[in-house]
Amino acid sequence: MDLATLLPQLLGIAWLLPLASFVLILFFGPKMGPHGRNAAWVATAAIVTSLVLSLVAFVSWLGAHPVTAVHHGGDHGAAHASDHAAAGHSDASDHGEASGHGDAAASHDERGVHAPVAYSGDWYTLYEGGRLKLSIGWYVDSLTILMFVLVTFIATCIHVYASGYMHDELHDVTDHEVTLADGHHLHRAGRFPRFFQALSLFCFSMMGILIAGNLAMVFIFWELVGICSWFLIGFYYERQSASTAANKAFIVNRVGDFGMLIGLMALWGALGTLHFADAKVVGADGQAATVPGLFSLVRPAESGHALRVPDGMVKFAAADKVARTPVAEVAGKIEAWRAEGLGRWLLFIAGVGIFCGCVGKSAQFPLSVWLPDAMEGPTPVSALVHSATMVAAGVYLVGRFFPVLSPDVLLVIAYTGAITLFIAATIALVANDIKRVLAYSTVSQLGYMMLALGVGGWVAGLFHLVTHAFFKSLLFLCSGSVIHACHTNDMRKMGGLAKVMPYTAGTMLVGCLAIIGAGIPFVIGLSGYYSKDSILAQALSFSQANPRHAILFYAVAGGAFLTAFYMFRLWFMTFAGKARDHHVHEHAHESPQVMVMPLLVLAVLAVVAGWTLPGGFGIANLLEQSRPAGTVDTTTGGFAFGQTLTIPAEYLSHGEPFHATATWTAFATALGGVLLAAAMYVWRVISPAAVAMVFRPVYTFLANRWYFDELYHALFVVPAHGLAATASGIDQGLIDPFLNGLAWVTRLVAGIDSWIDRTLVDGLVNATAAATWSAGTRLKVLQTGSLRQYVAFIAIGTVALFVIASLFFRASLAG
Amino acid sequence: MDLGSLLTGAISDTLDVSLPLFRVELTLAATIVLVLLCRMLPVLRWLDSGLVALGGVAFALWYAWCDLRGLPGAPWPAVAAAAVPASRELFGGLLIFDPLTAFIRFLLAGFLVLYIPFTKISGIPDREDGADFYTLVLGASLGMCLMASSNHLLMLFMAVEMASVPSYALVGILKGRKASSEAALKYVVYGAGAAGVMLYGISLLAGVLGTCHFPSMAAELGSIVGESPESFYAAASTGPIMVLALGSLMLAAGLAFKLSAVPFHFWCPDVLEGAAAEVGGFLSVASKAAAVALALRVAFGLGWLGGEEIAGASALGLADVRHFAVYLIGLMAAVTCTLGNLAAYGQTNMKRLLAYSTIAHAGYLLMGVAAAVALRGVDPEGCRRAVAAIAFYLGTYVFMNLGAFALVAVLRNQLRSEEIAAYAGLVRTSPGLVVAAAAVLVSLIGLPPLAGFVSKFLVFASIVEAISVAAERPLMLVLLVVGGINTVISLFYYLRVLKVMTFDPPPEDRIATPSTVWLPGALITALVVPVVVLGVFWSGLYAYAQLAGTFAS
Repeated sequence: MDLATLLPQLLGIAWLLPLASFVLILFFGPKMGPHGRNAAWVATAAIVTSLVLSLVAFVSWLGAHPVTAVHHGGDHGAAHASDHAAAGHSDASDHGEASGHGDAAASHDERGVHAPVAYSGDWYTLYEGGRLKLSIGWYVDSLTILMFVLVTFIATCIHVYASGYMHDELHDVTDHEVTLADGHHLHRAGRFPRFFQALSLFCFSMMGILIAGNLAMVFIFWELVGICSWFLIGFYYERQSASTAANKAFIVNRVGDFGMLIGLMALWGALGTLHFADAKVVGADGQAATVPGLFSLVRPAESGHALRVPDGMVKFAAADKVARTPVAEVAGKIEAWRAEGLGRWLLFIAGVGIFCGCVGKSAQFPLSVWLPDAMEGPTPVSALVHSATMVAAGVYLVGRFFPVLSPDVLLVIAYTGAITLFIAATIALVANDIKRVLAYSTVSQLGYMMLALGVGGWVAGLFHLVTHAFFKSLLFLCSGSVIHACHTNDMRKMGGLAKVMPYTAGTMLVGCLAIIGAGIPFVIGLSGYYSKDSILAQALSFSQANPRHAILFYAVAGGAFLTAFYMFRLWFMTFAGKARDHHVHEHAHESPQVMVMPLLVLAVLAVVAGWTLPGGFGIANLLEQSRPAGTVDTTTGGFAFGQTLTIPAEYLSHGEPFHATATWTAFATALGGVLLAAAMYVWRVISPAAVAMVFRPVYTFLANRWYFDELYHALFVVPAHGLAATASGIDQGLIDPFLNGLAWVTRLVAGIDSWIDRTLVDGLVNATAAATWSAGTRLKVLQTGSLRQYVAFIAIGTVALFVIASLFFRASLAG
Repeated sequence: MDLGSLLTGAISDTLDVSLPLFRVELTLAATIVLVLLCRMLPVLRWLDSGLVALGGVAFALWYAWCDLRGLPGAPWPAVAAAAVPASRELFGGLLIFDPLTAFIRFLLAGFLVLYIPFTKISGIPDREDGADFYTLVLGASLGMCLMASSNHLLMLFMAVEMASVPSYALVGILKGRKASSEAALKYVVYGAGAAGVMLYGISLLAGVLGTCHFPSMAAELGSIVGESPESFYAAASTGPIMVLALGSLMLAAGLAFKLSAVPFHFWCPDVLEGAAAEVGGFLSVASKAAAVALALRVAFGLGWLGGEEIAGASALGLADVRHFAVYLIGLMAAVTCTLGNLAAYGQTNMKRLLAYSTIAHAGYLLMGVAAAVALRGVDPEGCRRAVAAIAFYLGTYVFMNLGAFALVAVLRNQLRSEEIAAYAGLVRTSPGLVVAAAAVLVSLIGLPPLAGFVSKFLVFASIVEAISVAAERPLMLVLLVVGGINTVISLFYYLRVLKVMTFDPPPEDRIATPSTVWLPGALITALVVPVVVLGVFWSGLYAYAQLAGTFAS
């Protein structure tokens, strides 16, 4: 079968299977075996099938597009760089100018006109009206498939692990963390099926983001993922901390999504489409036509995929000029307007807006506060949702949306990543809760990925995303295993567990080594070694091209040191040395096999995921197939901050001198971090308590997580409460009395009116009638009493009307 | 032209043109004869007069439906029926057949088809009085049909009296009850007074204009008003214009009596409180529909002759006439609406409350009429929409108000009381009835998603349209504001009834009567379901209302 039809079918089914599982469990969950035990099987079967389908898609992709080493780095990269500099690619250097594209495109080598292989289309059109087309569609390239395999694989591991971990939920649960008003602990029914129901919905939503063919669909599933996260963090919703954390995560994400909506509006309002790729349509006249997607609009193929402000945005920004120009001449003037820089801000806003959504989802500064709290959810959730997949969605979207991002946006992204990685790493230094260390580590690593993307390391960032997913889920599952054994999260009560839990200790060591990027320089290393080195190299390359942003490289290097320190601090405190709390130690035991198996599988992958096989097969080269068009070469541009940025080509970083420097820097910082951790927690040369004493202000500052929560509380929560109180006060103090007054006046008027009607009219009539009733016959009463009155009113009414007509009408209308 | 050809012409006009288009009224008349025959002839005495009347009315409804569908531009045109002309004068100009006539006739016939089963189920009249009752109802309806189609002042007077006189007797149908007889007598005398005033006004108008035929009157009126060198109002203090103004005011007084518009509304609360709920339903729905149609007829008939190219010099004068009419009707509408709503606030008797409610609704309808007249000269399309809004309002009002009176009747049979206080806690024993009451009352307020909302919305939309184009902008603004405020005021007293039904505890001494048996239940359902359905799927009825609107073309 044709790959273009096969892939959407395979991935589409893989995508919809978890939805089917969700619906099944939703309706029949409690009936699936005792306490819904079989819900786990339904969910696991669905995700395993999805994994198989994704692997089939992966293999068929490899069959059609074999992965080979990409030959524009290393050996002749430097030569190319000088070539390109000499050739002076006008298209790449100035996106406001489109002249001379014809020969520039012709002189390009295979890289210059490189456009990635991607399949796209629509399954179903939700709505089509005017320019707006909302559809459920696909955009499949090697990144999509790789992410599909990754997500389904990790999700499978988590499903298996969770069917053991969530065992408690199979019967009634007494939640010791919830104390009711009567002093008892909460006793509730188990929620085993509900967990897998939410997990299935999550997998469906996550894959929806991955396969989405347009930004509207991305947004739909973006929100769905958010709501799943809310379900899962708040799984123990009776616990105050869990429900608060769930709400916090949801609300903080909404802040980012607000920015994303602005970005969507900017794109749609100016360009009229949200589709990534071009679409072939048959017009009303029967002619096949191509509707350009976002990528082609921003990087048109005819200009060698160089980034330029699309016509729609130029027209939008020059709306007043368009209005003054005859319609026929508008098209001719667009180039001039583009040269003036019109529309650049719109492109910037669109890019930053979309990035805002990624900031929320990927817990970047300043929206990073929700992720550590999200650890209130069950540990498998932390491993799947809050370390490996959902939080990576932000990085994925930046990668997917990369062609549309202008250099200024990339700079914003790079700095956001740098700040995030530094802040999170420093907080992780002093955290004592094992899951929180990992959570901050996740935030920090996500910062790495963002930074890598921001400095032009498209492959580096996404490569790190993949490797990180493996070792971070491994680390989380290990921590879950430890917590399962010790019944506490506090590392200060652990220690010496390596003897009791050898498998857990060993696999966690692998995870720690992977995350710090351990390896023998230039020979071999764990997966993190490759991905982190490429980030470092790209950051270095960027720093040299833009000396004033050299701090980005130092952030990466410093972050690597901090990472090594806090990861090994964690490992040493947990597994090495002597037991600190004997009560905990005595009860500790190795976890059951169903929980250990995923650890071993993930540990193997954490080692090998970064390797490139002889012949070139490897994740980095696979990703290279999908590198966005127009990002192969070094580009320059930028306007927003009044400076020109150079985004160095990524292949340059694989060559000298960057590669060697980066490798040695990484090795030195990692080794330094490990040694310092060992000195403090194993050899006890340096006393941690003494260090904390010496740097007490710093320590307090870090231990309180830079006071972010307090700051946001003071900045947003308190004013919001104040605003609400004010509004409520206005409502109760002003509006209510006003309404009451109004009602009172109405009552009064009505009362008067009714009184007049009853007393004067009716009363008169009735009184007369009643008075004469006893005296005479009914006829007489009516004749003498009320009727006279009534009939008199006819005459009076007519006369009154006439008076009004002759006075009032004339006075008011004559003019 | 000799007498022979005149006669031949008159006969052929009557037989070929007028009578076929008059078949609804003829059917009603034949039904009256049949009902009376049934009562007189011992052979036919076993026949139930209600069923006979229902049969006749069903025929009338069918004919009315055929006439309506036969009109050019009807939404679901009749398949084989002969096309009916869009507008035709009947009987030498006494009556006119046009889409409005057809619509109101259809509405009245449809109302009767609902109304007769209602009276049979609720038990008033008893079998003894049945023939009298239905004769009177059918006679009054005949008069109302004529009201809706009259094209001549004499016909107008005849029709109004034809509709009124049977109503007087209907009010007193509860023989031996003091309140009923008192109400009837009040109604008779008040009606006679109003008729006298109206007749005086007619004689003044006819005397000055020299004709009673509406189009001829309009031509004459236009030329008289148009000829005066000063503006209409400057000239109004002297000469024939003053007489004309007085005459038209007196005519308006007669119409206002039928509409129960302030200041000619005094009879309404007393009469509706004294009469049986069944009679109240008849008076407040059918009579009102006919009166509104007649008001439209008079205002449009005397105020419009056609565009300037047709009406010539008199077009300018007629614009002044319409101006006068808009202010007269508009001010009356605002006062009527406000007074009706405010006075309803303090009522304790449900029928009296509904009486004030009908006064208020007459005000809303008159606002629509004012907007329609204001739009007549400036925006023909808008004018048609305004008439359509009124027609739609009348259509939904049939269900809302008849539903309300049917509820009163059913509850009277159940509780032996018509006081609002007696409804306390009804939700515990008859939840279905309370739900129906909620639908009807909320629809009368005009809240979505019920039919009353759509009608009110359409009328207000016409007023807004008039604000933007019509010359009487300030008045229309006032009407819109008054209408809005009144809608809010009306919330209080309608919802108070619901509050009593649901929240108040039931009285200790309530006689335990069997809950609604299926016939009254079916009746209420038949009346309430359209109130809900028309609030959502209103396009069908509105299509016919728009058809009625085309009479203003």
